[in-house]
Amino acid sequence: MAAPEVFSIAQTPVTCHAFNADRSQLAVSLNDNDVQIYARQGNQWKVTETLAEHDKVITSIDWAPNSNRIVTASQDRNAYVWQQTLDPITGQMAWKPTLVLLRINRAATFVRWSPNEDKFAVASGARAIAICSFDSENNWWVARQLKKPIRSTVLSVDWHPNNVLLAAGSADMKARVFSAYIKDVDKRPTPTVWGEKLPFNTICGEYSSPAGGWVHTVGFSPSGDVLAYASHDSSISIVYPGGPAIYTIKINSLPYVTLTWTSENALVAAGHDCQPIVYSGSEGGWAAVGTLDDTSSGTAKAGSGARAGSIGRLNSAAFNTFRNADTRGQTQDESGQTELLTVHQNTITSVRPYDVGADGNVARVSTTGVDGKLVIWDVGAVSASGLAGRLGGMKI
Amino acid sequence: MSYRKIDIDVYDEDVLQESELYEPDPRDPAQVLSDAKQKQAAVRSSLAKGDIPGALDIALDSAPYGPDVDEAKNLTLQTVVSILNSTKSSEIPAVVKALSQDSQDTLMKYIYKGMGMPGWGDVSGSVLLGWHEKLTEVAGTGCIVRVMTDRRTV
Repeated sequence: MAAPEVFSIAQTPVTCHAFNADRSQLAVSLNDNDVQIYARQGNQWKVTETLAEHDKVITSIDWAPNSNRIVTASQDRNAYVWQQTLDPITGQMAWKPTLVLLRINRAATFVRWSPNEDKFAVASGARAIAICSFDSENNWWVARQLKKPIRSTVLSVDWHPNNVLLAAGSADMKARVFSAYIKDVDKRPTPTVWGEKLPFNTICGEYSSPAGGWVHTVGFSPSGDVLAYASHDSSISIVYPGGPAIYTIKINSLPYVTLTWTSENALVAAGHDCQPIVYSGSEGGWAAVGTLDDTSSGTAKAGSGARAGSIGRLNSAAFNTFRNADTRGQTQDESGQTELLTVHQNTITSVRPYDVGADGNVARVSTTGVDGKLVIWDVGAVSASGLAGRLGGMKI
Repeated sequence: MSYRKIDIDVYDEDVLQESELYEPDPRDPAQVLSDAKQKQAAVRSSLAKGDIPGALDIALDSAPYGPDVDEAKNLTLQTVVSILNSTKSSEIPAVVKALSQDSQDTLMKYIYKGMGMPGWGDVSGSVLLGWHEKLTEVAGTGCIVRVMTDRRTV
């Protein structure tokens, strides 16, 4: 039950983050036009480089672990692939950008490398996803677009481990699974639960959010046989396409905006409720297990007990101050404290796997948030207390 | 000319229509209205027996939504509010807990709709606020978020 590692890396919101392969470096967007590269120095993260090329806010970053390339997407409708090359003047390694022709007329919202790192997908507000692959003859990245039947901004994408299928969550309240098969790049994929013949832009699945919320985030399980998505109607859904079964959990607190699978039977979701929640289940059903943010064991914040109500952000010290003033006429004891009772002090914008344990499952996840914090959580340290004891006896 | 007031959507051939945002109610509007009237009668008889949970279950089941059913919507709102008004405040927490999650979401929709009706604040404002408080304690902020996102407005 290791305590989470907390780093305050910025005074501004962290839009997104991506680690390099050995987790010694971190690329973040501090909600502006530049990528900041941090290097870990002992217990601190120091900015070592700034990648400036975009001229609007960077919305998403992904760092390919094997080929060590960074791809960035921005509201300026462009994506750049950054590669470390030897600068002949200074004799040092420097990040050099290559422009990707996305051919979109709205902001790029999200980007992810495919598992083989030979393609990447850029989601956009132009009701399209650009699937980019490298054209070695012309020495540039070319894009093919997935368009139909997307009706609104695409907010997130996730690659299937077979390098061909792509899940996308969109503001038209749908999560979809597409084929992003590129003839020159991919071998013929073996049949999966999502389908057998998979030419480009085949729709392998389309799922609605239960109460009309934007689908903020999608994720394939490690095997790729299960899909999870979370939407703005405070719900999270897990799809077994072979079943076919969809498990929808309507949550009591504010919506999730990001999720990541940690094993075939568990995932971590986080968002406006400011704490990462672990879900676990199988083909038989899914349920929330607990929070990674066990504040009851913390020292300074213990004893408030307000979390037991499990109604999310209402449990802040500020809320309690007003409630005490209202119901008891108290105005002194907690005045001046506006701190939330969670580690993150604002919305968590991104949760990603950090390292993998001996059993092949994700052992730790990293989160960044609007509060400028980077937190690394031990996935095993789940506490059910934050969930009002709904699953009191459950052990992990 | 104020450019902000130009409706740019009329120049977009592929504009996203309101009707694409949710599944339409399969029932015919006349059918929806007669269903609402039947439910009103059933709720009255349940209330006469003092069966609040039963009455709420009937009223919140397959609530009317979408266009062309304004009369049924108003009727159902009146039906729901009549139940809320005839519940003792000490009974509210138990009633709310007994509802299914879908019914809780639908009840929250009617509470907000009631709060939005002009002039209702003086008549049933305190009742609606009391129910809202108890329902939020049980169903959380998530329930309120679902009411705000759901295009199937009642």
